[in-house]
Amino acid sequence: MATLTQPVPARDEPRRPNFASADVQLPAVKDYEQVDREIVGTLHPTVAWFMGLGVAVFFLLVGIATWMYQIYSGLGVAGYNPPVMWGVYIITFVFWIGIGHAGTLISAILYLFRAGFRTTIYRCAEAMTVFAVMTAALFPILHLGRPWKFFWLIPYPNWRYIWPQFKSPLVWDVFAILTYFTISSTFLFIGLIPDSFDFAMALTPGWHTTIFPPYFVAGAIFSGMGMVFTIIIPLRKWFGLKHYVTINHLDAAAKLCLFTSLVVGCAYMTEWFVAWFSGNEVEKSFFANRIWGQWWWASAILYTCNMVLPLTLFSQRLRRSPTWLFILSFTVNIGMWFERFVIVVPSLSHEFEPWQWTSYRPTWVDYGILCGSFGWFSMWFMLFIKQLPVIAIAEVKEIVPPKLKSPHQHGIDPSGRHFEYEADTPGEYA
Amino acid sequence: MQGVIGAFRELDAAVGAIEALKKDRLGAVRVYTPTPRHELEEAIAVGRPSPVRMFTLIGGLLGVTFGYWIAIWVSDYWPLVVGGKPIASWVPYTIFGFEVMVLIGGLSTVVGLLVNARVPRLTMMVGYDPRFSHGDYGVWVECPPEKVRNAEALLKEHGAVEVRRER
Repeated sequence: MATLTQPVPARDEPRRPNFASADVQLPAVKDYEQVDREIVGTLHPTVAWFMGLGVAVFFLLVGIATWMYQIYSGLGVAGYNPPVMWGVYIITFVFWIGIGHAGTLISAILYLFRAGFRTTIYRCAEAMTVFAVMTAALFPILHLGRPWKFFWLIPYPNWRYIWPQFKSPLVWDVFAILTYFTISSTFLFIGLIPDSFDFAMALTPGWHTTIFPPYFVAGAIFSGMGMVFTIIIPLRKWFGLKHYVTINHLDAAAKLCLFTSLVVGCAYMTEWFVAWFSGNEVEKSFFANRIWGQWWWASAILYTCNMVLPLTLFSQRLRRSPTWLFILSFTVNIGMWFERFVIVVPSLSHEFEPWQWTSYRPTWVDYGILCGSFGWFSMWFMLFIKQLPVIAIAEVKEIVPPKLKSPHQHGIDPSGRHFEYEADTPGEYA
Repeated sequence: MQGVIGAFRELDAAVGAIEALKKDRLGAVRVYTPTPRHELEEAIAVGRPSPVRMFTLIGGLLGVTFGYWIAIWVSDYWPLVVGGKPIASWVPYTIFGFEVMVLIGGLSTVVGLLVNARVPRLTMMVGYDPRFSHGDYGVWVECPPEKVRNAEALLKEHGAVEVRRER
C-alpha cells in the first residue's frame, strides 16, 4: 500500500516520508503503558454517549412500533404489489450484509497480507460486521408473512417432520447468515482474548448474470469501507485517538475504498456491455430503462455516489482529509443503498411482459423499519464502544517499539523506520 | 510448581535471559508478555509447526461432508419435487457444503487454538503479575530447589528488575 509519489503536506503537517503502509508506526505512542492508559480511558461513559445511545434507541423503537403495526395489519402495508414483492426489505438486507463484508476483509484478508493500517481499525470493523449481520438477519424475518414461524427454515428433528426446500435461496440465507454471524463473532472474540447468488439464479432481466458474485463482493467491501470511515473518523476525534488511527491509516484505507469503487464501476460498465453485446432485446430494453426509465434518478444517485465521487480519492490531499473522507463515506453508504434499490425494484417492475410493468412506492412502514435498522445497529455499536476497547490494545502494542536495554543485540531490529516522538507533532501525521 | 519469576522492563533483556536459561538447562521456561513478539517466540521456540492447522483441515472436511449430507438427506426424507428436477441437486447443495465447511472449519480452528493454548485456565498461573499485561515481560523458570539460586542469579545478571521465588 506504499504510495510512490511524494506526500503533499497539509498546512500544519510536518514533512515526513510517505509510507501509508505496514511499516508505519505510531510516533506519538511511546510505550505499552500509554496504550493501556489511553485506550482504556475511552471506556468511561459520558453524557454525550448517553445522548447518542438515546437517539439510537429512539430509532429502534420507531422500527419496533412500525413492525408491530405491520404484523397487526399484514405485509400489504409495506407497499408490496405484484410483481414487486421484494422492495425496501431486501434492499436493506443486502445493504447491511454488504456493510459487514469490510470487517471480514479487514480481519482476514488484510491480516494475511500483513497490511499494517488494519491494526488500529480492525476492532471497530469487526464489531461493525457482527452488528451489521445481526441487523441484516432481521430483514428476511420481517419479510415473512408469519415471522414467528421463521424457525421452520432450520432443519432440526421435530414433530412436523423436516421439509425445508434446500433449493430455495431462503434456506441458503439461513445457513449463510448463521455461518456469517458465527464466524464474524469468532473473529471479534478471538481478537478480544488479548482482542449472492440469491439474485443471479433468477431469470429476471438485470439479475441473470454470472458477474453478480464478484460484483456483489466488491460492492460490499466498498460500502463496508464507507461505513468504517463513518464510524472511525468521529471516534478517533471524540476519543482523542488521532495518534493511533493516523492520517496514514486513513490514507491507506481510502486507497482500498478507491480500488473497490473502480472494481464496482468496472462491473457496472460490464453489465451495460453484456446487455448490448448479448443482442437480447429484453436485457437491452431493461438497461435502457435503468438509465432513462422511471427510476433514472435512482441510477443517477448510484452512479454518482459509487463511480464519480470516489474518483476524488486519486487526490492525496483529499485522501488525507478526514473531513472529506467522512462526507464521502455518507455518499458511499447512500450510493450503495441505491445500488441495491436499482438492482431490486427496476428489475421486478420491468420484467419480460409489458402488461406486468408496474411501479413501486415504499410506504412509511418501509421507512420506519429502515430507521429501526439503523437504530438497532447504532444501539449495539454505542453499547460496544463503552464495554470493550475500540482499538485492540495488544495488537497496537505489537507495532509500538519495545523497550530495549541495548539495541542491536539478540537480532532485535530497533526499527530504524520508527521516528522519534517530537513534542511539536500531534502524532496524527505518522 | 516450584521456580523463579523474573520481571523485565526491556524486551532484549528478557530474550537474553531466556536464551541463557535454556543454555544452562535450568528448567522449563514460560514467558508472560504484554503483546506477542517474534523475538520471544524464537527464543522459546519448540521448532515444530502449530497443530491448529490439522483442526482446521479436519473440521473443514467434516463440515463440507455434513453440509452436503444434510441437504441431500432432508430432500430425500421429504421430497419436494419441482418440475421433474432431481430431488438431490448437487449444484445448489454446494452452497451448503461450502457454508458448513466455513462454519465447522472456523469453529474447529478456534477449538484447536483454545485446546493448544490451554485457555481458559481455571487456576491462577504461577508467577503471573498484572504488570505483565501492561508493559513488562515475565520470565518464569520451573526448577527444583537446588537450581533456584542459579536461576535467580542468572535472571538478575540479565537485567531483571525483580526476581521472586514461587513454590
